[in-house]
Amino acid sequence: MEIMTGAVAAPQEINVDVSSESWLYKLIYGGGIVFDLTKWLVLILVVLAIVNTFFVSIFVVSGVSMSPTFKDGDWIFWNKNIYNDTTPQRGDIIVLSYPGDPTNKTYVKRIVGLPGEKIEIKDEQVFINNAKKDEEYLNYSVGTDPDGIWTLTSDQYFVMGDNRPNSNDSRYFGPVSKRFIRGKAISRLLPTFQLTSDM
Amino acid sequence: MPKKNRRKHPIVNFYWRKLAVFAFLFAVLGVGYTSVQTFSADTNKYTPPTDSADLTIALKIADDGSVIVDGQKLKQHIDTSGSSDELILPILDNAGIGYDSVHVLVTLPKSVVKSSIYEIKGIHGVDSTSVAAISDRAIDYYASGVGPDSTLSIIINMPPGTVDPPLLFKLYDAIANIKSSAWYIIALALPILTLIFMIGFITVESKQQKIDIPDKETDSPPMALPPAIAGVLYHQNVGPREIAATLIDLAERGDIYILDKERDFAFVKNKYDQRLLSYEKVLLSKIFRASIVSDSAEIEQRINNHLYSKKISLVASGIYVLSTRLGYFKTNPQRVHRKYQIIGMGAFFIGLVCFLLSMLIFTNPPYILFFWAGMMLSGLIITVTARRIPNRTTIGQEMMSNWLAFRKYLSNPEKMPFSFENQELFQKYLPYAIVLDCEVAWAKRFSEQDFVLPKWYISDELSQGLQDFCLSLFPIVSYVARSLASLKEPGFE
Repeated sequence: MEIMTGAVAAPQEINVDVSSESWLYKLIYGGGIVFDLTKWLVLILVVLAIVNTFFVSIFVVSGVSMSPTFKDGDWIFWNKNIYNDTTPQRGDIIVLSYPGDPTNKTYVKRIVGLPGEKIEIKDEQVFINNAKKDEEYLNYSVGTDPDGIWTLTSDQYFVMGDNRPNSNDSRYFGPVSKRFIRGKAISRLLPTFQLTSDM
Repeated sequence: MPKKNRRKHPIVNFYWRKLAVFAFLFAVLGVGYTSVQTFSADTNKYTPPTDSADLTIALKIADDGSVIVDGQKLKQHIDTSGSSDELILPILDNAGIGYDSVHVLVTLPKSVVKSSIYEIKGIHGVDSTSVAAISDRAIDYYASGVGPDSTLSIIINMPPGTVDPPLLFKLYDAIANIKSSAWYIIALALPILTLIFMIGFITVESKQQKIDIPDKETDSPPMALPPAIAGVLYHQNVGPREIAATLIDLAERGDIYILDKERDFAFVKNKYDQRLLSYEKVLLSKIFRASIVSDSAEIEQRINNHLYSKKISLVASGIYVLSTRLGYFKTNPQRVHRKYQIIGMGAFFIGLVCFLLSMLIFTNPPYILFFWAGMMLSGLIITVTARRIPNRTTIGQEMMSNWLAFRKYLSNPEKMPFSFENQELFQKYLPYAIVLDCEVAWAKRFSEQDFVLPKWYISDELSQGLQDFCLSLFPIVSYVARSLASLKEPGFE
């Protein structure tokens, strides 16, 4: 094989500098590159953001108000969409916005009282419509106070944390309208997986 | 010839430059998001005085719904999107200082105290709370024993229409009150309608530019065009086939050698003649820098140094310009692609910016996000489908018809007898077969026996039949797609 070089001007000398182009050209040029590099990644992130905003998400428990059910640092998987079609049930562990600061404060509590019911706390026990409520999810040694009576309207729910001595809930900030309920905790993911229906 | 490391191409190419770009983007987005969050929290809070055990706050709700606390206008505004004009305002939140008593004296814009609902909420260490109307326009919210960690909020629900918010807030309320199902429908309809429109547009244009499918085949190219020009006439787009065919054509013309190195490719300079077209010169300058030999490892190394190659873009541009000058296209196909790409990109980026803004502005579930996501998807659909918009002139359509007649000849299943002339014919038309998507059919026309490797093709194998030759050469299309063609700049014109 005979290899010859230098028969014509070296092609590598061709000048491809376009740095003197207009700002519009540069904008389109740069936009095209950014678009080409990121379009699928951005679309995936947008879909994830929509799923996270409207459908399902994960939060990390801060505090001990739901102990022993949830401990500080537990990872919880929750459904934001479930109450669009169904109504919250007694025993559901819900995520709610604090009615006094719905934008910035989010709590996780358990639904104890349903709309229209009368909730009474006396002698460290909970009574619903004058019937004592068995709460197997509580530590046996935990009592509920302070005493009080609340009559719920057709849109209100009475929520409490499972760690009664260390929980700010409806006993202190009153019953919660449904519009403040943001979703239902479905399962604990970490440190061990467990469905909330078993809690 | 120096031996280079022979390695197979990875399934996913990993480019450090691209990683750097993504890392930078994530850093900017992360810092930006954090800054916005901090800003929002700082400006929306009332800062209480720290030098008194008893705190009295004068709060006024203006006619336009803005909230003024001790002369300080807050970012928070009366929410008029619900069934009442509502204010939920955390007055104290973990302030770090306790108060014996807190009075919040609220003045309403109208005399609506009797028809309003009001309450005070205190948690995390508030002894007692009470609230009382002190006139038909004023309410006194009271809390005692407020601890340093407490959160104290006041709430008032006034009859709808009590405040008259600015137009921007009315717009916000109107958007917030649109039902979620309406947003779902809009979000789905937008990309579907865009797709239907683009398909309809392409169909109508295709019918207007109908290309006659020839009955007869012609046994020679209708015109002495470079294969890349024939390819862009056929595909209306410069892709890997056009570049690969150009490389084989250059080899056939004696400008370069193609080396088969264990199913990998390398290129060797031969003599460049004076008849090289400008885009061919640029392509050669991309492959060879200073050395005589340019193997895949060297090309890949150069690719890794670039996100995109301006030279490869210039190759594509040169092919487009030449085919347009020949009168085959109404306007440069690259310009047509660019026009729709700009429209698509614009829709995509506007959708993205509005998506991010909506996430920050709307507090309730912002269903308008579905609309912006639909807009972004529509932008992508426009950019993807725009490449298929027909753009050929009458001359281009006639020429295309002639090339289809030649393609019919190339893909004819009838075998051709072996002869030295036919061997030359095979090599000569091979670049055209590649750009016309029929190289396999063209190769099948020739007998296996007595095949002689082209002079421009050098292989490690001592002897190769036609099938081996095709198996080793035809992957050059995917090789070019993976390496050179992928470097074409998306924003380049």
